[in-house]
Amino acid sequence: MTQTIAPTQSANYVGTSERKHNGEKFLRGEMVYIDDIRIPGMHFAGIVRSPHPHARIKSVDLSKASVAEGVIFVLSGAEAAKHTDPIPHFIDPEAFGGKTTDVRCLAVDKVVYVGEPVAAIVARTRQDAEAAVELVDVEYEILPFVIDGEESLQPDAPRIYEHWDDNKIISIPFISGDTEAVFAQAEHILEDELKIQRYSTQPIEPRGYVAVYDSRESSYTFYGACQNPHPLRWVLSHTLRVSENDVRVIAPTVGGAFGLKMHGHPEEPLTCILSKLSGKPVKWIEDRTETMLVGAREQMHRFKVSFTSAGKITALKDHFVANVGALGAPPGWGMVFLSGLAFPTGYKIAATDVLATVVASNKSPWNAARGYGKEATALVMERIIDLVARDLGMDPLEVRRVNLIESHEFPYKTAGGLNIDSGDYHAALDKAVEMIGLPALRAEQEELRKDNRYLGIGFAFELTPESGDIPGTLVGGFDTSTVKMDPSGKVTVLTGVTTPGGGNDTSILQIVSDQVGIEISDARIIQGDTLLTPYGFGNYSGRSMVTGGNAAYLAAKDIRAKLLIIASRLLETDESDIDLRAGWARSLSNPDKAIKISEIAYTVYTLAFATATGVEPPLESTRVYQPENIQHTPDAEGKINIYPTYSNAVHVAVVEVDADTGHVKVRRFGTVHDAGTIINPRFVEGQMEGATAMGIGAALMEHSIHDPATGHLSTNRFKTYLMPRASDVPMFESVHQVTPSPYTALGTKGAGEAGVGGAQAAVTNAVHDALAPLGVTIRQMPLNPQNVLHAIITRETGKQA
Amino acid sequence: MTNPQQNLPVNVVVNGVRHQVEVDPRLALVDFLREDLELTGTNVGCRTGDCGACTVTVDGEVVKSCLSLAVSADGSEIRTIEGFAGEGEELSPIQSAFWNEFGFQCGYCLPGMLFCTEELLGENADPSEADIRHAIDGNLCRCTGYHGIVRSVQTAAAATRTCNRKRVSE
Repeated sequence: MTQTIAPTQSANYVGTSERKHNGEKFLRGEMVYIDDIRIPGMHFAGIVRSPHPHARIKSVDLSKASVAEGVIFVLSGAEAAKHTDPIPHFIDPEAFGGKTTDVRCLAVDKVVYVGEPVAAIVARTRQDAEAAVELVDVEYEILPFVIDGEESLQPDAPRIYEHWDDNKIISIPFISGDTEAVFAQAEHILEDELKIQRYSTQPIEPRGYVAVYDSRESSYTFYGACQNPHPLRWVLSHTLRVSENDVRVIAPTVGGAFGLKMHGHPEEPLTCILSKLSGKPVKWIEDRTETMLVGAREQMHRFKVSFTSAGKITALKDHFVANVGALGAPPGWGMVFLSGLAFPTGYKIAATDVLATVVASNKSPWNAARGYGKEATALVMERIIDLVARDLGMDPLEVRRVNLIESHEFPYKTAGGLNIDSGDYHAALDKAVEMIGLPALRAEQEELRKDNRYLGIGFAFELTPESGDIPGTLVGGFDTSTVKMDPSGKVTVLTGVTTPGGGNDTSILQIVSDQVGIEISDARIIQGDTLLTPYGFGNYSGRSMVTGGNAAYLAAKDIRAKLLIIASRLLETDESDIDLRAGWARSLSNPDKAIKISEIAYTVYTLAFATATGVEPPLESTRVYQPENIQHTPDAEGKINIYPTYSNAVHVAVVEVDADTGHVKVRRFGTVHDAGTIINPRFVEGQMEGATAMGIGAALMEHSIHDPATGHLSTNRFKTYLMPRASDVPMFESVHQVTPSPYTALGTKGAGEAGVGGAQAAVTNAVHDALAPLGVTIRQMPLNPQNVLHAIITRETGKQA
Repeated sequence: MTNPQQNLPVNVVVNGVRHQVEVDPRLALVDFLREDLELTGTNVGCRTGDCGACTVTVDGEVVKSCLSLAVSADGSEIRTIEGFAGEGEELSPIQSAFWNEFGFQCGYCLPGMLFCTEELLGENADPSEADIRHAIDGNLCRCTGYHGIVRSVQTAAAATRTCNRKRVSE
């Protein structure tokens, strides 16, 4: 064979920014979201929620509601408990040595947060259900409550769960080396604190469910705006006391998720049991005030670092407290574990003493939120770097360079036990400096300062462990895809990963179309249906391309191998001489010799005992992808590695702070992102752009505030919970750096979670850089006008901010 | 109103189709469109007028349909995302721009973004980035960080200008 295959010849789609394969349906308003689903006979659920943060339920009187207009069924917590079991925790703290509690779909004896479901109504219309909710009389005995995390840790704090001896759920240490010994010898020591606010994901589509109980089959069909259909099926079957194979979970088009639509929510089994007991299909759609209840991310960090005069950090201690609200069944609290584990991100710090304390309070529960705790670690580490630089009068970039892992040191085992696959952090830092044009900005900063204008430039490095597998839970690190080519040569992909909008469906089709040589328009993909797709864990942890994408790649390669055998026989040439592309198999040495892929497929199905002899029909393959590098057997230090791959990024923010009002304007924002091999650049950028905006929101405005007097969530609408609007963010400048992961088949590292923490940290550092002439340190996030102004004013009057 | 549940007549043209129905006077326009007419392309994100997922046009004006009543639309001509391209028509240059420039991810905010773009370009053929951001400021998107949306509007503006120039020269 003289002719070689050019590298591009096998890659028609991979590496290109193929637009959303089903974009037209979106643009014509034809996608079916959960609230668009209508089932004949469908009724609507309304939920009675606790108005008290902590109270004993004395009685629930449903008599008025039960005879209200349109109402066909009412349910109290006591009655629900006869038909359901507690909801299994996504990640049970007890399995990690912590405390646990039963979480039920409706509270039985007492409520522990404002908004906790207490009773439910089924009515003909949503309006009737909501009207009847107002007619339910619940008698409460009000109990003392606590919403502050640190107060909740006090011995005299109101006890949230009577069977616990205090309100602490768990404390998890992450220790490496002897920090105290290092501190004792240290050249420099710095201590400070940072309070990260409670904030939330808030996709524009709220949650919603439709449950259909089939009494003849004793089975449920559950439509849900959810990220993880298969694990949710397990949860529903256990809660509803039915066999797992009697539950079918279907996720329709999901209008954004970001962790909110991971399961464990009481309304999931509740909708199901309401359908069974009322005999009707039941729909429940969340309203925004309910979405706002779901919290995340609140942490109080107190840290101490030692460092040399050259900026080398020698030891880090951070004992932090996370207030996760009432313990819910979703995977919220687990974020705190990851915050601790992710220290010290991509920096080489030999001695670390990190203690993550998770405390319950009478706020509403957390759920997972994009970044899954690693965003908090990024913020704290990057503040530490800038504080060290300020202390030494060094360039913060130089402190980063001194401490970051160097490219020749990978794979690199961190103090926490993570085994980082690959990267070139220093190169990424250099690219970010170049991208933003640092010298010109520094000159402008100096000029503006003469006019008392405060321009700031902030950098942040971000490490995002992706595609994790937590042992003993249904947080799985593998996934499964099926590729089927029918006799017409059309392809159907079924996969266990799901998409909340990011585009992994299109990217998977790009991979498959290249392998089997078809036009992408001849392929379709089915996700999010436990009856149709192979077992999979759905969407979290930037895993969709790493697991589902690589599984589809392997399955498509199996089909490709069969196509090549048949093509070789039909074209009478070697397999290595054949290019599969755009619906054709073509001889490379003699391009006039070609045959349609559809003819090859037809041959496999129709000439199985002739031309296709020895090629096992049908053209179907199901493959699992288990990335390398996950290590669940403890090493000599007892540490495990739950992540196969580690994307990284360097972020740079340029802000202007109005020192009179405390308002921060983000003028520019740039990111150098290394997600390993890229299947579709614009989808990867889109993930980063969305996460960056979320991080800017986290830095400057997003804050879930509970009224300390009542325990009610004050920020329960978009009017009070502020999220970035178009005028709050700039265009995003982006550069890709590609260091493929050696531990995944295609070299992908995952995208999606990265950006929140990096953006939050870069903006926060930029604000401090801007206000450097004033010597301000802000210790309370977000950097809204109130907190910025407070820091400026208290600094000017000489008080501690 | 003594009996709020007495239905009232509503006579509207939606995406070119006339509907004469009687509705509960308390019914929001968005629920009328979604439930009664089964036009589910219009989405509900907040019901407080903050997110814009429910955006439609009423007599050519951009309206958040969660904040208006079905009865108040009586006698109006309404367009929803299903009628954005026009019946049986190809995607409009605005829709194509949103597709090509990755102007959406989950798609939930699309009705608002498309209609606000159309309104902006009707008033200003060559909007600045600030004009674009101002035009879509009433609409929340949580997926894109608005980057792809702004690019989509810029591309749509350029395409519309080209289109108009062709029309003038013909």
